[in-house]
Amino acid sequence: MIDPASGPFLFDTSAESWLGRAEGSGALEWMREYLSHHEIHISAVTVIERVRGYSLLWRRAEESKRVRIEAARVAYLTKPGRILPLDGAIAAVAGEIMARLPEPPTAPRRSHRLTESRPERLARWRFDGMIAATALVARMPLIHNNASDFEHIRGAIERAPERFPNLGPLELIRCASLV
Amino acid sequence: MSRGIHRSLSPRKRRTTLTLPADSLNEAQRIAHARNVGLSTVIAEALSEGLRLQKAAERREEVLESYKKAFSGFSDEEISILNGVILEPAPRH
Repeated sequence: MIDPASGPFLFDTSAESWLGRAEGSGALEWMREYLSHHEIHISAVTVIERVRGYSLLWRRAEESKRVRIEAARVAYLTKPGRILPLDGAIAAVAGEIMARLPEPPTAPRRSHRLTESRPERLARWRFDGMIAATALVARMPLIHNNASDFEHIRGAIERAPERFPNLGPLELIRCASLV
Repeated sequence: MSRGIHRSLSPRKRRTTLTLPADSLNEAQRIAHARNVGLSTVIAEALSEGLRLQKAAERREEVLESYKKAFSGFSDEEISILNGVILEPAPRH
């Protein structure tokens, strides 16, 4: 178990929603304890991914569902928390990560009759690089629910520490290990 | 007399009468004595800290409630989209 008081942590996009949906498990208590000590920290990139997601859902939804989606979007955007902006230092580190790892480590996602396009997979991979760079520069452990991508980034940083001076290692915490 | 007392208080302080648990009051008096400060100072500090914790707890519940509203009621596929995984119908070959 990860001590909630030992934060603050940066929450990846999928980790934030995983904890946001936590019910009846230790995850909700972990989140409550974490919030007693720290704010939720997310990258501005997570806001991009999230708001784009709400917008896509809204556009695809029937009229009757749109009110609920819009209410969820408003709830998300009005919640207190700290959003770490993309600044020059983070951009430089993210560029280095992207140069070292130009291709996503795993194939596009698939589900029943649905698939993620290659451009979408590449965009998501680059977003992950920006989030990892944010964690590195902010010197915060990154809580994630996407081991395949972030472990790959962590490995690349460890193999070339000279390209990330005074930064790293990228400290990763899986959602499942929180409780 | 009363007006004189009120003038001697800081504009941001007010005099009031409270009924407190005897144990708490005894402990506050002990602390005040040990620190060589007035009982009002100790009570004010304790109250301030209690209110800060209460405010933090309210804020924490607000955040949890906002997260609940933001993510509940969506299918796994919809949550994927909210997580930035955009799935489209597979092209026919």
